[in-house]
Amino acid sequence: MEDKLRQKARELLSSGEVQVVIGYGWNRRKTRTTPVFITRPEDTDRLVFNPLCVNNLSVYLTRKYPDIKAMGRPAVVAKGCDIKNIAVMVSEGQLKREDVYIIGVTCGGVVYRQELWQGELKPGIMPVKCHNCDVRNPHIADVVIGEKTDFAPPEEPTGMVFDKIAEIDGMTPAERFAFWNEHFSRCIKCYACRQVCSLCYCERCITDKNMPQWIESSAHPRGNFAWNLIRAMHLTGRCTFCGECERACPVNIPLNIINQKMSLVVKDAFGYCAGYDPDEHPPMIVFSENDKEDFIK
Amino acid sequence: MSNIYLPHIVKIEDIYRETPDVRSFRLVFQDKKVRESFEFRTGQFGLYSAFGYGESTFCISSPSTRKGYIQCTFRATGRVTNALAQLNVGDTIGFRGPYGNWFPVDEWKGKNIVFIAGGIGLPPVRSVIWTCLDRREDYRDITIVYGARTVEDLVYKNELEHWDERDDVYLVQTVDPGGENADWKGRVGFVPTVLEETAPKPENTVCVVCGPPIMIKFTLQALENLGFSDEDVYTTLENKMKCGVGKCGRCNVGDVYICKEGPVYTAREVKRMYNDF
Amino acid sequence: MDKRLLKRERLDRLIDGVTRGGGLFVAPRLDARRVVYGPVTAADEMEFDYIVPGNSFKEFFFPRTEPVARFSFHKQGTELEEVRPEPVETVIFGSRPCDAASCASLRSVFTWDFVDEYYTEREDAAVVMTVACTQGDESCFCTTVGVAPDGRDGSDILLRETEGGDFTAEAVTEKGASFMERYKDAFEATVEGREKEVFQPEILDGVDLERIAQWLKDKEHYSSPLWPEVARKCIGCGACTFSCPTCHCFDLVDEGTFFEGERRKNWDSCQFDYFTLHASGHNPRDTQYKRWRNRFMCKFHIYPGKFSTKGCVGCGRCIRVCPVRLDITEVMEEISKVP
Repeated sequence: MEDKLRQKARELLSSGEVQVVIGYGWNRRKTRTTPVFITRPEDTDRLVFNPLCVNNLSVYLTRKYPDIKAMGRPAVVAKGCDIKNIAVMVSEGQLKREDVYIIGVTCGGVVYRQELWQGELKPGIMPVKCHNCDVRNPHIADVVIGEKTDFAPPEEPTGMVFDKIAEIDGMTPAERFAFWNEHFSRCIKCYACRQVCSLCYCERCITDKNMPQWIESSAHPRGNFAWNLIRAMHLTGRCTFCGECERACPVNIPLNIINQKMSLVVKDAFGYCAGYDPDEHPPMIVFSENDKEDFIK
Repeated sequence: MSNIYLPHIVKIEDIYRETPDVRSFRLVFQDKKVRESFEFRTGQFGLYSAFGYGESTFCISSPSTRKGYIQCTFRATGRVTNALAQLNVGDTIGFRGPYGNWFPVDEWKGKNIVFIAGGIGLPPVRSVIWTCLDRREDYRDITIVYGARTVEDLVYKNELEHWDERDDVYLVQTVDPGGENADWKGRVGFVPTVLEETAPKPENTVCVVCGPPIMIKFTLQALENLGFSDEDVYTTLENKMKCGVGKCGRCNVGDVYICKEGPVYTAREVKRMYNDF
Repeated sequence: MDKRLLKRERLDRLIDGVTRGGGLFVAPRLDARRVVYGPVTAADEMEFDYIVPGNSFKEFFFPRTEPVARFSFHKQGTELEEVRPEPVETVIFGSRPCDAASCASLRSVFTWDFVDEYYTEREDAAVVMTVACTQGDESCFCTTVGVAPDGRDGSDILLRETEGGDFTAEAVTEKGASFMERYKDAFEATVEGREKEVFQPEILDGVDLERIAQWLKDKEHYSSPLWPEVARKCIGCGACTFSCPTCHCFDLVDEGTFFEGERRKNWDSCQFDYFTLHASGHNPRDTQYKRWRNRFMCKFHIYPGKFSTKGCVGCGRCIRVCPVRLDITEVMEEISKVP
């Protein structure tokens, strides 16, 4: 599969159809994969694809990277979950579908607990998103590399995240507040969650605006709560549960619980799931007269 | 404990509206001991607090020869400067300083001095001008070349008049082409161009340059063309600052900390800096 | 002072002694599936099986956020009140030699002409008990930058694990010796048990610190195309800077209401895009690779050149925590290779 990937990349670069291929490459010790930017056909041998390729490379397509935009038309190696983010970006007008060449790769799941990786993909080291994934065969792509898989996700979403959501749903508001306060108190305001998310593409994030300072930048409980809350609200209906924010968080805040809960709420209220149709706008950013209102009491 | 982050309280004694968005403050320390003992050298800067909004860095634009008060001039651009611009006479703000290095005016005794400034770059230069004028006999010829985009943007208009009238100072004022009005009697042209026309001689002369980066760049070029050595040309740089004391890691240009090893540099030192502008 | 033995079961005595006096006993503990330095009240909260805790203990000398002044607005003017650090005796147990070596670096910045007493008072009130490393992983590279896995720099007491789960203890400084004296019922004179072997991370022979220092000194290389090449994938998240034991950048912000507020000193990161943004809109470091370049320069040029201390102690946290696995040792090797 990697050979086919490299060959396709070589073709794209040689023909000039794209000027840069954003993909995964090995680190020096071949123990982790890392994003690579290939501009020359002879360098395409650096491209790899294996279950260690967790990164969501769509983040490099956002407006925050003018130097990458200046490299020319990109091709991006994308798994189903990454493509979902590109679909949302297209629906929000951040990029035109024809401005990026999507090299879709069929994915059998990725590894999150990478220190436990011993060459074999076991369910225990895969994140919850992979067990429930319905885009293991990329749904939007210019080319699909890899064998088609007939994996079907379970009817009801399962996994630690969903169990936790059910548990929190059963809590009183005071208990919920205490739960989240405890987690957010660990926040160090490093903004890794924001930087790694391709849908957090605002060039001047609300927390960086200081006239007035809407969200305090200090890492005290009040400031942390404000930041995490505003991020959750701004992503509602748009987040595709790619899980990158929780993976990037250096203090292990369970952001996936928030992401997934918001997705479930939006699905219930508007029947919308982010990332499948690049022509459909996320419900929180558009207003149409026949929007459902029955949940407004 | 001497808390390096704790500002002195200063009261605004006077506000002058230089231009619609530029203010000059005259500030007096509220603590008597500080008021009587405060000293600084021309070229140093301070961090001025608008409590509740933050701190901003400006030079001390009053001369080091005058005691009992300090002055600063700033343009209302961002959060803190806009908050400061809304204040009234009698309000209190904070001041931390003096920080940084200074213009070596004592080494310039017996020399000619050419002051070149553009727009909002005049305040730091003004401090040096008055420090020298307060000891006029120590220096030989003093030339001031000052320009702004339009007549309205000129700062210290009343002092410019005074310098124009003095016969021991040669003042050349200019506005950018298109910035003049019907009453304008000065020159029209960019500062570096007018400087070359004024053609000060490099012998026994030092220059003090301050202004927007693009103006500094072309002025240094013009001075080189006129034969000035880059060790005789002084400028003052600015960068975003927060602590002012070399700890917050923000103001460095390469490996040079503007707040500690600056803001005053010779043109030679500027050339040696890393391209981190 | 000769080596003493600190038995595992005596740790509670130390903890009690320190915390009873109102002090803080900081040790590696489990928090949300990570081993981190944090305050403990009993030895059973402590973790002993770790390579290096996820955070560095700088947060106990240089808090993530702390008030430095409080102000309130009155008709007569503004009232300003300073907020003192009020340090308590802090024992950092289970520090690693790399973390301990970073103390000198931070102190050199915080005492450069102006003394930041928020840092010095806290560090002066702390006793650093370092445990030499008996395990490591591929991200450790202390030996490459001149730190030993059983190094003594910055430690007050150096502990070594024994096969039996206890520690031999050696006083490195006066402060450490007097601490061991004070708790001599915990530090026994008879040393028994074999010390475990110290883990030696491989020295990366592709890294030439001399060459790197020389290369960085030349200002032409600041504009080298190597920087965008190596740092293009950086997403500017700041996780490396916040986990790094020698990173010291901070912000001073005012927070409050119309009536009163406080000025806070918060951690900041040179990797954030607005770090060097001027109010005029000009940003000297406007693309991510420029910001990453500044970080590298700070560690390998500014710290050693200006402060004569180590900018990088080889703890490897930045490598472990980076979401895109931008490995600083790979960049060191790239620069060492440049002809």
